[in-house]
Amino acid sequence: MLIVNKLSKVYDAHGRRVEALADITFSVAEGEFACVVGPSGCGKTTLLRCLAGLLAPTSGTATVQGKLAVVFQEYGRSLFPWLRVRDNVALPLKNLPKDERRAKVTNALEAVGLTDAAGAYPWQLSGGMQQRVAIARAIAYGPKVLLMDEPFAAVDAQTRADLEDLIRDIWQRLGVTLLFITHDIDESVYLGQRVIVLSAAPSRVAEEIVIDLPDERDQLTTRGDARFVELRGRVYAQIQKAKRGST
Amino acid sequence: MTLWRPLLGLAAFGALWELLPRIGAVPARWAPPLSRVVQELLVEVRQPRFWDAIRDTLLTWAIGLGIAVAAGIVVGVTIGAIPLLRTVTASTIEFLRPIPSVALIPLVVLLYGTTIRSALVLVVYASFWQVLIQVLHGVADVDPVARDTADVYRLPKVRYLYWPTALPYVATGVRLATSVALILAVTGEMVIGAPGLGKQIWLAQQSDAVPLMYALVLVTGLIGVAANVLARFAERRALAWHPSVRREVPA
Amino acid sequence: MTIVRRIVVLLGLPVALVAGWWFASAGSTDFFRPSLQRIMQAFAETWLGPRLVDEVLPSMIRFVLGYAAALLIGVVVGVAIGLSPKARATAEPVLEFLRAIPPPVLVPIIMLFTGIGDTTKIIVIVSGCVWPILLNTVEGVRAIDEVLAETCRVYRIKPLRHLVLRASSPQIVTGARQALAIGLILMVISELVAASGGLGFTIRQFERGFQIPEMWSGVLLLGLIGVALAGLFHLAERRTLAWYHGSRDADRK
Repeated sequence: MLIVNKLSKVYDAHGRRVEALADITFSVAEGEFACVVGPSGCGKTTLLRCLAGLLAPTSGTATVQGKLAVVFQEYGRSLFPWLRVRDNVALPLKNLPKDERRAKVTNALEAVGLTDAAGAYPWQLSGGMQQRVAIARAIAYGPKVLLMDEPFAAVDAQTRADLEDLIRDIWQRLGVTLLFITHDIDESVYLGQRVIVLSAAPSRVAEEIVIDLPDERDQLTTRGDARFVELRGRVYAQIQKAKRGST
Repeated sequence: MTLWRPLLGLAAFGALWELLPRIGAVPARWAPPLSRVVQELLVEVRQPRFWDAIRDTLLTWAIGLGIAVAAGIVVGVTIGAIPLLRTVTASTIEFLRPIPSVALIPLVVLLYGTTIRSALVLVVYASFWQVLIQVLHGVADVDPVARDTADVYRLPKVRYLYWPTALPYVATGVRLATSVALILAVTGEMVIGAPGLGKQIWLAQQSDAVPLMYALVLVTGLIGVAANVLARFAERRALAWHPSVRREVPA
Repeated sequence: MTIVRRIVVLLGLPVALVAGWWFASAGSTDFFRPSLQRIMQAFAETWLGPRLVDEVLPSMIRFVLGYAAALLIGVVVGVAIGLSPKARATAEPVLEFLRAIPPPVLVPIIMLFTGIGDTTKIIVIVSGCVWPILLNTVEGVRAIDEVLAETCRVYRIKPLRHLVLRASSPQIVTGARQALAIGLILMVISELVAASGGLGFTIRQFERGFQIPEMWSGVLLLGLIGVALAGLFHLAERRTLAWYHGSRDADRK
């Protein structure tokens, strides 16, 4: 699980102080799928990087219990171009015995539907497939917590729909705690059990909206569902408020 | 922009150069302390032969570079613009390119003796390839959409297409050629005896004037740094307004 | 048909040039510009014999040793400096100065310390080759994609072992290629200045003794060695950087 308590982050950029996060407090229960949305520049990525341990908070805490994996937005740059797909997925597992490693890699690639591409190099694959490799690598690592930073922002709409379903499927099967950052409001409602809306920078948590849609979701029917539209509207309205600066 | 670290590095280097010979860690006869070298330099600066040598080296370097750049651009754009020429000359270029310029030294000594012309031939030869290779890459890098546009509107290709695309590469080529040209100029002077800083260094060595040798090496290094800085500045200016900033293509 | 066409394109101009040289210089009585035929004759007489082992081989061995040492020093120091922005800032002006000194100019200085033996020649080669390798390594390490670096941190992958060298290898190879050309030049120069044996020294002896066709043949040999080294380097590069060329091509599409 994941606990953020009074997290704040101030940058020193070229002599100017930029307060990205002012006071963020929320938590994600074990096995929960939570989405974070907010207006552009509200520090969503900063939040994720603090959680991932890549950035030290200025004050407050961002703690993750258990092993964590991250799927970055720039999938192309997060895969090692000199390694084949299966070696990319296997790299974080180098401490395991060979057989166990190979099994995990095979399972992970199967879970994302890339068994045939195991011997290819990442740059030989399409964007969507590259992101799947990154997801497979995260899965094979066997994390308790999965952080995803706008992972589908840079793929086309069709691929995004497939990847969204894939990630929900994986989440249900593995039972990981998933924190999903996105700027796509529809996506956040479609995917999450809870949507955490951030205000504009310096950001706080504007609202937490529980998504009480059924667990079985699909692109066609769920998105047309009345409740979906209602929730979506709430999130949208909250973001508009956040953009205008009122929390 | 913290300046203290670079200055610290330079100061440390200077301090080492001063102290190590003085405490005998390095034989002072072979490596005089920095202060001694500077002292010698200040004496040498008053000699006309010092400035003649600098003038000769700079002349050789500048003229050689100029010829090489001009030739490299003309040949490069010509070959690059005509696909047939490019394919036919590709293998020849790959064969000629790696031939070390020093291989020409005996030839050049025989044909031109110990004149500036000898060093000039070396400089032009070595620098030409640097420029040519970069220009060829530049012309080959032309955006196919841009080329189609030029075709449709019947724009003169060299002026509107090849030259602007190749310009950053030309700038890179000139930067690379600049340092190569200086190296070859000084080498030619040292090995062949053409007039210039290289020859002065050789003479200093012959007459066992060790501090003078170091002083001249110091000056040569400083000239080299100045040349590099200038060339990089010019390259950045050429690249700055160019929409897509390109990286140096492996020569 | 295409195989024939490719051979024609590949060898056409070179063969034509060589043939042109042959016929233009045939029967030449110019002392300084002998006919190509005479040069080829001298080539066979001079180099395909004991001289190959006595003079050429030692030269090449010194070159290989110097180049290898430069690679090792350049990469190790380059990685160390490249990984630390502070070290980079501190060392940069000193490195800029040292690399701007034309390597041949250092030969007399090196000779002061180590005389005119093999050590001097190897050190001379190292002194010139190390700079492009070192500076390019620093640049390559500096430019490592930060997303990759962050990936290593998240997944607890040791960057030094799995990331640094591989990611900066394209840039290092660029430096190594420049160093190859410089190394060959310095090999010859070290033998010209620290005059005691070797390929460059032998060619100079021919020039001094007015053995012109032999001298030309030596020049030719140097050229061939340069081409052969470049070819070997190209092969080695294609193997180690296959992934890089592939990904660059993919980017371009």
